[in-house]
Amino acid sequence: MATFRIFIMLSALFLTASLSYGADLDERLKALEEVSKQQQKVIEEQQRLIEGLKQDLNKLQAGEPQKSTETQVLELKEKVDQVAEAQTRTIPSVFNPAIGFVGEAVFSYRSKGASLTGSSRPGGFDAFARSVELNAAASVDPFAKAYIVANASADAATGEATFSIEEAALQTESLPGNLTVKAGRFFGEFGRLAYIHDHELPFVNRPLVLAQYIGGESRTDGVQLNWLVPIEHYVSLTVGAGNQFGGDVPPNNVGDFRRAGGLNYWGRLSSYVDITPDISLEPGVSGLWNPKTVDRGGSFTQPDGSTLSERERRLTGVDLTLSYKPLRDNQFTSIIWGTEVLYSHNRYDEVNSDGLAFSRDIGSYGLYSYLAYKFHRQWSAGFLYGFVEDAQDNTARTYEYSPFITWSLSHWNQLRLQYTYTNHNAVSGLRPDNAVYLQWAWIIGAHSHGWQQR
Amino acid sequence: MKFKLLRIVLTLLLMTAFCLSAIPAYANKITIVTTLTDLADLARAIGGDLVEVHSLATGVEDTHGVPMKPSFVPVMNRADLLILVGLDCEHAFLPALMEASKNPRIQKGNPGYVDCSKGVVPRDVPKSTDHSEGDVHPYGNPHYMLDPVLAKTALSNIFNAMATVAPQYIAEFTSNRDAYLATLNAKIAQWETKAKVLKGVKFVSYHEHWPYFAERFGMNYFGTIELKPGIDPTARHIEELTAAMKAQHVTIVVREPQFPEKTPKRIAEQTGATLVTLPIMPGGVPNTETYIKMMDYIVNTMVAAVQAGK
Ligand SMILES: [Zn+2]
Repeated sequence: MATFRIFIMLSALFLTASLSYGADLDERLKALEEVSKQQQKVIEEQQRLIEGLKQDLNKLQAGEPQKSTETQVLELKEKVDQVAEAQTRTIPSVFNPAIGFVGEAVFSYRSKGASLTGSSRPGGFDAFARSVELNAAASVDPFAKAYIVANASADAATGEATFSIEEAALQTESLPGNLTVKAGRFFGEFGRLAYIHDHELPFVNRPLVLAQYIGGESRTDGVQLNWLVPIEHYVSLTVGAGNQFGGDVPPNNVGDFRRAGGLNYWGRLSSYVDITPDISLEPGVSGLWNPKTVDRGGSFTQPDGSTLSERERRLTGVDLTLSYKPLRDNQFTSIIWGTEVLYSHNRYDEVNSDGLAFSRDIGSYGLYSYLAYKFHRQWSAGFLYGFVEDAQDNTARTYEYSPFITWSLSHWNQLRLQYTYTNHNAVSGLRPDNAVYLQWAWIIGAHSHGWQQR
Repeated sequence: MKFKLLRIVLTLLLMTAFCLSAIPAYANKITIVTTLTDLADLARAIGGDLVEVHSLATGVEDTHGVPMKPSFVPVMNRADLLILVGLDCEHAFLPALMEASKNPRIQKGNPGYVDCSKGVVPRDVPKSTDHSEGDVHPYGNPHYMLDPVLAKTALSNIFNAMATVAPQYIAEFTSNRDAYLATLNAKIAQWETKAKVLKGVKFVSYHEHWPYFAERFGMNYFGTIELKPGIDPTARHIEELTAAMKAQHVTIVVREPQFPEKTPKRIAEQTGATLVTLPIMPGGVPNTETYIKMMDYIVNTMVAAVQAGK
């Protein structure tokens, strides 16, 4: 019975296939005829050429003088020399995988101690080899590529370098339907600067709001799907799911068995508009949701004696980048104005001082906005403003004001001087702070001009 | 019951897939994306009405510095051919755009990826790619399109690629190409006659754009204002260059419109050389919309500068 059914199915399939083919057959035959006619023409053309060459050859053999023979020999010799020379070169990117190193040192002076500023680095004078990064990338096979970013940076207290894998991910290259899948450890797509490595930021430090709400870089172990919407206009949609989101945030306390709600889910929709050939606008919206954070990072004791432990993490972001990049001389001048506004809306289990437990939602927001002006091939300057409300206490606020100037001696060698004034409101219990940073970043080996860093 | 439904759906899907695959490829125009405007002009010359050509650059950009615009992505996504200069000329913007385009047809190794430098013997291949030499010309100088004879190599690469993806149009492509070649050959002969006065004339330029041009027309390419390709001059380099130019009687300073006029102008004033602004691709300055018009402009301007200097 089953065999019979399969037979019927196959026959039906074959029939439909041949029918659809038959309808097309006439047209195909015509096209084939046309092609063969044209090929005939090409062949005739080539025969004419060959005849011509034969005649030239006859002339040569007859001893007719060739006036340019000597020049031709000279030219040929030169070309051979150049080819030989070309063989001897070495190019970093021809190594497989392409390997590059990034080094970054930050020298700073901060007027207040770490306990008064909430910083992970000490106050006073500090020298910090923040990024000692190894990048490697290569195609895995015709269908995917892979890349690894490993970082070793020194611990503030012990000076010991701790080695960590920042990214190690596989990315498909030939999925149909304008889709790309990335899997492994990578910086998930949220907003505009969360997935940029420290040394590639337009200023020295990650804006407060990204450091606090996301946890620095948007690192995750997970999978992310990107879809380029197949329309005339550029619209990109990304969705992802992963264990942890944010390099500095503690992982969830997953317990013995994790349900789907214990994972993080995120997404981003972004687009691009050319306002004039030189001016463009890139808007984007992002979301992050962790339905069951299960006590991520333990509980916080508040001044009134009550404790909060996070139960659900929700983050929404809107970003807007306005760029002036003149077509003709964008290597010499450009202006970028970038802004991100984030709204954190977390749910907590609160236990008050009387031991009563209840659920509490806290909404808080933060933003940063910066302007960077390139006024020379090597020089640019800018200003960063940032503001953030504490995610656990939206009455505690912090503000930052940072003018900076960047000197790029070349693509691979960049110095940046930045002054940062940080101020807190009374509720935060932190003190205003003045800081000066000198950042020096360099690259050796292979480097690429990435899509996200554009 | 469930299985039956599944089978019907599967059969329908297979049928749809088959019918779709039977749609002839020549139903639409061939979509071509070129990085620069010179290549776009050649592709239009061969393809005529059968192709739709988009150039990423408009003509005024630096050949190494076309801004990486997301608006390029949708058109690259549906392109049948991506035509590029090669020799890493487009290193700063093309690889990321290609990845973002998610178009397997135009990735390296596929017939839609057309590297026009194939068959061009590169000049000035660096002995080492240590970055102390700058980084923009690691495979040798990529500015071969400024030699109209090498432009014929690019033309032939473009023709071959178009013939591969659209063999049904070979006859049209061949006759268009031959017509263009005839015009170009006549023009080359004309430029070579005009350029006789350029023989041995020494000149400098901002970026290393002109070795192939100088070779073709017998000029003496003395040096560049840039310290290394992609790296701005130091005060000392300018001083040395100016002194050498005076001693060796360099009579022309070429400024490409992508670079600020200040330094080339000062050098020209200090050495008594003539300052000229020359495009590096069609559209770089007014009245250079096509490749031939651009070469006309370059040769005429150079000749005028030599005659003015006499
Ligand atoms: Zn160049």
